[in-house]
Amino acid sequence: MPDLTYTELLYLACGAFLLTGVMVLWRRDLRAVIRLFALQGLALAAVIGVLAAHQGDLELALVGIGVGALRAGLLPYLMARALAAGGEDRETRPLVNVSASLVVAAALAMLAYAISRPLTELAPSPATRAVPVALTVLLVGFFVLVTRRRALSQVVGFLLMDNAITATAFLTTSGVPLVVELGVSLDVLLAILVLYVLTNRIRASFGGTDLDELRELHD
Amino acid sequence: MTGVAGVVLQVLLVAVGSPLLVGVMRQVRARLEGRAGAGLWQPWRDLRKLMRKQAITPAGTGWVFRAAPMVLAGTALVVAAVVPLVTTESPLDGVADLFAVTALLALGSVALALAGLDTGTAFGGMGASREVTVLALVEPTILVSVFALSIPAGSTNLGELVAAAEANWLSLLSPVTLLAAVALAIVSIAESGRIPVDNPATHLELTMIHEAMILEYAGPDLALIEWASAMRLTLLLGLLAGLFAPWGIATAGAGALGLLVAAIVVVVKVTVLGVALAAGEVFMAKLRLFRIPELLAGSFLMALLAVAASYFLV
Amino acid sequence: MNLVAVCFVAALCACALAALAALLVPARRRPAVTGVITAVAGALAAVAGVAAIGDGGWQVWLPDLLPLAGVRLALDSLAGVFVAVTGAVTVCAALYGAGYTAGGRDRGQGGDDAGGHGGHALDGRITQAMVPLFVGSLLLVPAADSVSTLLLAWELMAITSLLLVMAEHRQREAVREAAVWYAVMTHLGFVAILCGLLAFVAAAGGDSFEQLRVAAVDPGTRSAVFLATFAGFAAKAGIVPLHVWLPRAHPEAPSHVSALMSAAMVNMGVYGILRVGFDLLGGGPAWWWLVVLTAGVLSALYGILQAVVATDLKRLLGYSTTENIGLVLIGTGAAGFFAAGGSGALAGLALAAALLHMVNHSAFKTVLFLAAGSVLRATGSRDLDALGGLRERMPYTAGLFAVGALCASALPPGNAFVSEWLLLQSLIQSGSGAGLAGAVLMPAAVAGIALSAGLAVATFVKAFGVGFLARPRSADAERAVESPRSMVGGMGLAAGCCVALALAPALILPALAPAVVALTGDFGVSVQDVTLRVDAGLSTVSPTLIAVSLLVAVVAVLGLARAAMARRARRAARLWDCGLGPMSPRMEYTATSFAEPLQRVFDDVLAPESDVDVTPARESAYLVERVSFQTRVPDRIERRLYDPLVAAAAAAGGVARRLANGSVHRYLAYGFCALTGALVVLAVIW
Repeated sequence: MPDLTYTELLYLACGAFLLTGVMVLWRRDLRAVIRLFALQGLALAAVIGVLAAHQGDLELALVGIGVGALRAGLLPYLMARALAAGGEDRETRPLVNVSASLVVAAALAMLAYAISRPLTELAPSPATRAVPVALTVLLVGFFVLVTRRRALSQVVGFLLMDNAITATAFLTTSGVPLVVELGVSLDVLLAILVLYVLTNRIRASFGGTDLDELRELHD
Repeated sequence: MTGVAGVVLQVLLVAVGSPLLVGVMRQVRARLEGRAGAGLWQPWRDLRKLMRKQAITPAGTGWVFRAAPMVLAGTALVVAAVVPLVTTESPLDGVADLFAVTALLALGSVALALAGLDTGTAFGGMGASREVTVLALVEPTILVSVFALSIPAGSTNLGELVAAAEANWLSLLSPVTLLAAVALAIVSIAESGRIPVDNPATHLELTMIHEAMILEYAGPDLALIEWASAMRLTLLLGLLAGLFAPWGIATAGAGALGLLVAAIVVVVKVTVLGVALAAGEVFMAKLRLFRIPELLAGSFLMALLAVAASYFLV
Repeated sequence: MNLVAVCFVAALCACALAALAALLVPARRRPAVTGVITAVAGALAAVAGVAAIGDGGWQVWLPDLLPLAGVRLALDSLAGVFVAVTGAVTVCAALYGAGYTAGGRDRGQGGDDAGGHGGHALDGRITQAMVPLFVGSLLLVPAADSVSTLLLAWELMAITSLLLVMAEHRQREAVREAAVWYAVMTHLGFVAILCGLLAFVAAAGGDSFEQLRVAAVDPGTRSAVFLATFAGFAAKAGIVPLHVWLPRAHPEAPSHVSALMSAAMVNMGVYGILRVGFDLLGGGPAWWWLVVLTAGVLSALYGILQAVVATDLKRLLGYSTTENIGLVLIGTGAAGFFAAGGSGALAGLALAAALLHMVNHSAFKTVLFLAAGSVLRATGSRDLDALGGLRERMPYTAGLFAVGALCASALPPGNAFVSEWLLLQSLIQSGSGAGLAGAVLMPAAVAGIALSAGLAVATFVKAFGVGFLARPRSADAERAVESPRSMVGGMGLAAGCCVALALAPALILPALAPAVVALTGDFGVSVQDVTLRVDAGLSTVSPTLIAVSLLVAVVAVLGLARAAMARRARRAARLWDCGLGPMSPRMEYTATSFAEPLQRVFDDVLAPESDVDVTPARESAYLVERVSFQTRVPDRIERRLYDPLVAAAAAAGGVARRLANGSVHRYLAYGFCALTGALVVLAVIW
């Protein structure tokens, strides 16, 4: 693959990865949020795919396909089922309002850029230059986790962080061993299954997954 | 010389073609909604009808009210002369700056907002208040996206921007340009008062922005405003097309044939964009007024990400 | 003695003469005589300033005028810019003041509730004499060439302006409160400047600026000096969070004094930062300037946010001053930052933008404050919610205010558009070469400028649209009449300056070049015919061309419309009133309702307070007899930062009161103990 096209394609995939990440903050409709997450999974797979094509690495390509299948297929499917089972499909009143969270996301992007500069300068290559993108998504995921009320949004926030960590790993190391990636993915899958079961149980017992209402259980 | 000819050509194109574009968009909507539609020439017929009516001065309005339509149309014509639609070689090079163009469009909106306040009716005030609110919130997105776009070209001059994009068209695929394009598209929709920010077809006081401001206008004044609004929409679409799909625009030294080709290309591009916008509107509802800041904050975020991306993805 | 010296000294003498005249001339003639002499002083100062920018280099040392150090004066190009601006503002304000302050006794309507316009306070001896003295101090500050002279002039400026703010203290309670705030803030600022400069002098071992420039001072002291003086100068410039005096003092001062304060005195804060930061300390590390830049962005945003929700016309203008000086500081900070990074062309561009914006601000703010004063004089109200319909009753004032408002909203063909364009160019040309801090801060600054520009549009659409258009919202506004000729003349002169700055920046901008080059070594903008060209990039703009093409286009539209239109005369018609009959002024949109959407959008920042009081009918709790709704937007920084401080100070005062029980012996004993204590400490240390 010629170098220029490689860079453009990689950045395009990273751009899509970033955009889907921050759009999660924007949409209130949880169904749309899950769709965005699926799209982000595809973008992540595309990032890995472009890297694999550039390095001519078949194993990496397989990992990319696996990651894509898990994050764009299985996980969104599970979440959509969880959503269909419950009735609450809107993030009605996030703790920080949507406009403010978007502005915060902009600030987080600048922060991510600031902190990843030394990392980029360590080994400047097209791939490492895209690390701030992944870090931005990581911070945005954390922010979703902090400010959103619905349990499902929280799961999405957690998964955003996981996507971002995966992306960082691939961008900086040009390839994680297959075993490691498999292990991580399995962990995530397991965590989601546990959460899925838990939210179902909670809903069955208490009839809602608004976290602030759940806090009352403590008292 | 081709510069002058090109500018005359594009001003004429915008002046004559913009009501047609509105006609096309209405027709597309009508067909998608299962209606027959009034035909492409209906906006022109409306304008002719309005021009023949007697001019009316509502009681208690003053010179601001009467001057506003002229200022609105005047700013639109100046912008039509400098935006790179047909040619990048505008003899008005000192005006062809992206900041200047957005400020000129804003000047037109301000004139209308003042006219709305001048009537002293609740409708006029409401429209004016909402219009300037949207205007104020749109401004950061525009300027930050301009920032992002100007980094590769090293300039905010429209001709330079288009030339730089045409020379290195691969850069159009970069996240910087794409994010800036999305951001500018959103604010263009907001500025031109289309769904989901404003509904040009509504006359319900809870929802309207633009229509509330111009409620007191009638006859030739209204015709001027309708015409100018159509021109503004055309110009915003043309500007987007010029910045993000710069192919076909005549550069320095292009002959008469080049200008002709450029004119046809720009008509096609703007029509395609208009049709896409109209088709999109069919599937969308207008946002609540106080959800609009969210939309604009989203576009601002994209613009800022475009700038950030231009720094780290070099 | 060259032209600079002659004019400058003559200007100072004219100020003294005007003050003397104010004391001696009988009341009937007093405003006219004082006003005219002050205007002459202003004109002379403007000439001196312009001449000083050109060739500069006038210095004088008067060793006998002050004990110890003497008085040192010098006019270089930087000082020349500020002297020229002050002079020009003075001419407009003094002419206007001649009409504004006259006739108070004849009208005799200085009642407490009449808003204090006219009144018998304004043509009093002291108030009349203070204006020229204030102008004199404003001229002396930039001309000072040693620390002691600067401090003396600064204090003179503070005291004279304070007395002017208090001019109407008998008429209105609010004046006294504003004066206290102003006195405290300005003197705290003075203390900060005093400490900073004295530390500098002590480290440098000399008092004149000449010695300070060449002194070798260690970086720690330099930073401390810069920060202390920056705080002091920022307080004078009305920078957030030290701005609290400004939206109080500007509205309460007589309007021509408001214009002088907002268009000339506030500039002195900028002058101080430039003089100390660039000239005396010679630049300094980048972080200094990032502090300045950040303060500028915050001020611009906070100032304009408060302005957009303000309903008091002069308070709105005061907050707008905070915004505009914030923009100037963004330019200043960017200039220092680029200079520290070694990019001279960008630094020159940013500083040129900052200085041009300051000049522009002075021009349009003079018009706006003077016009606001005319409105106040004619209607007795500064409350936009009670104004309206002035466009027929005060056509000149309305037209001139429109010019000022167009300029202030940074739209073409106004003058602020040019300077903000240059400012934005300097920020976006920085590119990725500005390093990490630049990469993060420059986009943020651009976004801040953009938002403040957008909100400024909303602010001035509100100020002009609600204040002057539509129908009068109160009986006072209905009775308004146009101001006398001298006031319109003063406003017209200032508006003329605005128009000149807007249409021919290509002629005026090069005049700033010597001052900018003296500080940054490069100018960064070149002028081709009527086009401004940025050296660092490929951007060009031609305000003249914009204005001309706009005019041509509007005329063309007019011609087209005339040609196509039916040849029938315009017909008057009723407004659309839903068939309910004529609309009352109560149905109009007010300033409050106009700004409501923006207030809601920025709810989190502004934290408006609203109070709903429902009185149920006696018969049933479900029937409402009356609902009263109150809303106000307090200055949040004042609430959060100053109210606790003031409360703490009051508490400390309460505690300290116990020390003072009224016994003279006790007070003398305090003094004795302090003296002996200090001597003991000295004895031990030495």
